[in-house]
Amino acid sequence: MKRGETSVEARSAAFGYDGDPVISGVNLVVHAGERIAVAGPNGAGKTTLFRGLLGLIPALEGTVVRASRRFGYVPQHEELDAVYPFTAREVVTTGALGSFEGANRFWRHLAPPMRELAERCLDNVGLAGRADDCYAELSGGQRQRVLIARALMTEPELLFLDEPTSGVDRDAARQIIALLAQQNSERGVTVVMVGHQLDVLREFATRALWVANAGVIDGEAGELLSPQSLDRLLSSGSEAAMWKK
Amino acid sequence: MEEVSWTEFFEHFHYAIAAALIAGLICPLIGAFLLVRRTGFYGIALPQFAAAGVACGFVVMPWLEAQLHVDFGADGMASGEHAALNIHLAWASLFTMGGLTLLTLARRGGTETARIAAAFAIASAATVLFAHASPVGDIYVHELLRGEILAIGLHELDTLAAVLGFVALSIVIWHRDLALVSYDRDQARVLGLPVRRHELLLQFLTGATVATGVMTVGPVVLFGFLVIPPLAARAIAKSMVGYLCWSAALGLGSAVLGLVLSKELDWPLGPAVVVSSTGLWFASRVFGSMRRG
Repeated sequence: MKRGETSVEARSAAFGYDGDPVISGVNLVVHAGERIAVAGPNGAGKTTLFRGLLGLIPALEGTVVRASRRFGYVPQHEELDAVYPFTAREVVTTGALGSFEGANRFWRHLAPPMRELAERCLDNVGLAGRADDCYAELSGGQRQRVLIARALMTEPELLFLDEPTSGVDRDAARQIIALLAQQNSERGVTVVMVGHQLDVLREFATRALWVANAGVIDGEAGELLSPQSLDRLLSSGSEAAMWKK
Repeated sequence: MEEVSWTEFFEHFHYAIAAALIAGLICPLIGAFLLVRRTGFYGIALPQFAAAGVACGFVVMPWLEAQLHVDFGADGMASGEHAALNIHLAWASLFTMGGLTLLTLARRGGTETARIAAAFAIASAATVLFAHASPVGDIYVHELLRGEILAIGLHELDTLAAVLGFVALSIVIWHRDLALVSYDRDQARVLGLPVRRHELLLQFLTGATVATGVMTVGPVVLFGFLVIPPLAARAIAKSMVGYLCWSAALGLGSAVLGLVLSKELDWPLGPAVVVSSTGLWFASRVFGSMRRG
């Protein structure tokens, strides 16, 4: 997919659960090669929008057209249960499960190319040599990078990340953002990222979606996520102060 | 039992020995998934559903015969013949699958532990009530719950081998899919995996293992294999594949040790297997702690 082409388009879409819309009237186009930040107050529907664009929940109204065929999805590392004794390599190789059919799932995963690909993806996220480490015993930042490596297994055109810097220290957050910027600039991967740290989002994204009051405001990241803009977007002064902080 | 030599033991109980080894090797693979999905208590509740199903069969089959004037073979249900085993297996499967479906449908109400505890209480009460309504069934179900695996025959062994062979093959082929669907459902959907189909497959494999296990090796042995070896394996495994392999290996070890204890100490095999697997669990915890330093 060439830069600038339509990757995902939502037309008058509403997303929600059990038939009740959380956000509605969503009209937006995600272009190939963009870096998009999704922000807004807690409970406003950021994750609902994210899940709707990704196809994890159906549109209650309107349509969503996904021109990209290869999606990468990176959940919050805290959502995954530490009771599973996966190694980093095992987590990463599950990213290729969609590529195989039937019994091939068993044999192909044992094949050297699959192991090499997993190790290359781990290498890309700066975790070379950690393939056999237990995923649950890695730090928050390392776990997040393993999940990004898993998403890279599909060689995605479009990468959706749900708060990739949540629960990690600032250094680790900067490493993750640098990694995403690298994937975007070198491989043209479109990145859509939900986040709370506005300075990080402003630094990374070129475009922002502000989700609030059951709708979406679309704008340039530096402008929409600026302190002045937050004063306008947030009704209460204390909430605006919290976001600026 | 002290006077029985090993040769005689093998000669008389070779079906039971083979059944214990097969169940010990394969049941822990299902138990491993139950444990990481935090549904380990299914290992207790589902065998009780299977027992309730068998007890229900003793009540319903004669009643159906009387109503429909058709011979379903209810008279021979306590005979131990092949046809009787098949009838019990059908009832055990029906109730196990039904229990699993109910537990899945009720997923949103209360905590998982509370739902399973309630299901266990209901299934236990149903077993007692159905057994009470059928004097023949009462004796049979009592024997079934004691789980005297040494009385197993060729037909039971064939059935167990066929069902658990299918379970093992399915897990070998699909273990990564089943693990991903359990671990990160959203990721599985993004990758285009048929998530619901995999969940149903895991549910079916669990139901088939429990229903067949209850009818052949009995609930005590089955519970010992389903829950304890995976717990032990979790303490020492360093990968998901390693976890499955260790679970199977420790289940097999529990079966071998249980057979030795049963023969040498004249213990019933069911409790002997549970004692063995518990011993291996403690050993694995110690080993795991030492390795972690």
